[in-house]
Amino acid sequence: MNRKKKNTLFAYAWSAPSLLLILLIVIFPILYTGYISLTNMNVYHWNDYEIIGLENYKDALFVFDNGFIKAFLVTILWTIVNMVLQLIIAFILASMLNIRKLKLRNVYKTLLIFPWAMPGYVSILLWKTGMFNSQFGLLNQWLASVGEEPVRWLNSDVMAFICCTVVNLWLALPFMITIIDGALQSIDKSYYESALLDGATWMERTRYITIPMIRAIIAPSVVITVFTTFKQFDVIYLLTQQVGSKTGADIHTIMTYAYENAFITNNYGYSSAISMIIFIILILFSMVTNMKPKEEEGRA
Amino acid sequence: MKKICSLLMICCLLAGMLCGCGSTDSGGSQAEDGTTTITIWHDKEDAIIAVLEERLKVLAPEINIVFEKKSDLTEALKMVGNDPKAAPDMYFFAHDKIGVYAEMDILAPITDIIPKEELDQYMDSTIAAATYKDEIYQLPIYYETLLFMYNRLYMDDSEVPETTEELYAYMEENTKGGHYGFVEQHSTPYYAAGWINGFGGYILNEDGVPGLDDAKTIAAVEYHKKFVALMPGETEYATVNTLFSEGMAHSTIAGPWMIPTVRAQGMDVGVAPMPVIDETGTPIAPYMGVQGIQVLKFAAENKKDAVEQVLRVLMEPEVGVELAQASGCAPANEACYELDEIKSDEVVMAMKETAESAVPMPNIPEMDVMWTVAGNFLTDVNMSGKDVAESAADAQKEAEKLIESMQ
Repeated sequence: MNRKKKNTLFAYAWSAPSLLLILLIVIFPILYTGYISLTNMNVYHWNDYEIIGLENYKDALFVFDNGFIKAFLVTILWTIVNMVLQLIIAFILASMLNIRKLKLRNVYKTLLIFPWAMPGYVSILLWKTGMFNSQFGLLNQWLASVGEEPVRWLNSDVMAFICCTVVNLWLALPFMITIIDGALQSIDKSYYESALLDGATWMERTRYITIPMIRAIIAPSVVITVFTTFKQFDVIYLLTQQVGSKTGADIHTIMTYAYENAFITNNYGYSSAISMIIFIILILFSMVTNMKPKEEEGRA
Repeated sequence: MKKICSLLMICCLLAGMLCGCGSTDSGGSQAEDGTTTITIWHDKEDAIIAVLEERLKVLAPEINIVFEKKSDLTEALKMVGNDPKAAPDMYFFAHDKIGVYAEMDILAPITDIIPKEELDQYMDSTIAAATYKDEIYQLPIYYETLLFMYNRLYMDDSEVPETTEELYAYMEENTKGGHYGFVEQHSTPYYAAGWINGFGGYILNEDGVPGLDDAKTIAAVEYHKKFVALMPGETEYATVNTLFSEGMAHSTIAGPWMIPTVRAQGMDVGVAPMPVIDETGTPIAPYMGVQGIQVLKFAAENKKDAVEQVLRVLMEPEVGVELAQASGCAPANEACYELDEIKSDEVVMAMKETAESAVPMPNIPEMDVMWTVAGNFLTDVNMSGKDVAESAADAQKEAEKLIESMQ
């Protein structure tokens, strides 16, 4: 065996535990879901299920009706609004954390990371009861103290969408702030010094130095966050749709829509087919977002 | 040497990872020392399990009982119910999932272990709740119904409404200044079902047919709307119960599990029969949930003797009495109601009275989708102000579509 082959073999051997882990927790569930989607597995055929071909996919397409298209458009709007706000707010906060001679920098960083340390479920319900509740919520207590009528924050579609966005930002900002803060610190200070000597304003320094230099570093985090936001379920479901505590708002993302129209049926074959279709949509979405602009490709 | 070490470490790591994929063996019929372990999954509070553990100690050391609390019991059973190595031998849970597990073929009829005639000692409604496709799958232990409760600080015993119109008049008079005359989880199907059943309507009948667009269901939801208008916008458990326990709501319809909490807070809470609906002359008829023991097929086949002994201990009327004293549970065993300890318990006797008009929660698999669809229907009507008949027709269509999708 020549040395190159031997090295390759060792490289695979060393990576084997990680590869096996990825196989077990990422690849296997996808393949298994794909297999189940071709069967009639449901409560009536729990042990004696059999392969029924693409029947579930045929039925699943009925879920992708007008309601699904509306949910899909809401999901895109939800993703765009959240991503734009996240990037802007995180950039501003991270820039403020990098102000020279800022006192108590670590205290602010700890406070900003705090929402990330709390379980999402707890945070969401805290917001729901602690802030938005019309009887006991802080927002209505403030309104009452200035003589205003209480507001049902999660009752209408637009208001509920805004409230969900606020909670999602609260949950997601720590990650983005951390990444942008790290990226900002990696920029060589001499660039700014030269720019200052040339008389560049803050806006010019941000536009021509900061943004181009952090773009490559934060790009993977942005892609990850786009996906997390796109397939967001907890925030919208727990704030507005949870069984037993619905609020009257009718906002659905594709995940909450699929949950209410398929997953509650206990038909695992059918639900798996819908999961696979959403998975394919996400893969296509990923391919589109990963496409490099032509000029950038040419440069590479 | 370095390479050999690293290869050895890789092998250890792989072995370590893979051994996590194994499972502990809780199956098998008997241990080598002749003892049998019976594992019971449950989702109950400690006080209830302490009573059962104490009573089942008589079976030791031959039979060792292990209670395991599972917060996600229903989903966990779906995953491992047919795997004897991971599944429990029995589970202690409400009757409403019986249909799902019976269809999955993981449950054994209780009559395979206890002769049917011995179950005559239980209230008919509890046995009806435990029956799915003519087979009894549960040994009932206790049952729960919603109760009409009031805070004596605000509502005198003489003011307790006997009819829904009296209740409405009380609400109109007392809902002001941050106080509510009456609150309930008005848009949650489990709670709204009392009004629907009281009108003769239904969410789902025993044949698995949804009744959301039934004329009586529509009439009930339409009538209920005027009460909802005098209640807070939020319908969830935390808000409604906090309003009552904090003294901001004078009365409520809630589960018996709330009574110990409000009593501990010093509230003089009264329990009264459900108000009679003026339109129909029948009381509000909430769903009844029966909590009991279900036996998994593998245990019934391989540990039959031990399972039978466990069930026989739990059939003793004293168990019902102790559960009532420990946690206010209403025993399913009729014999308990002959005993003074039970007769003198105001809450248990109120539940017994309500149970006479209560409707057992449907235990068929189709009910799983109805909680969501009926919840959406009630939310549309009560919180989004949509037309009742139109919403009912849409919800009915949705329910039928989802039920079809279950197959």
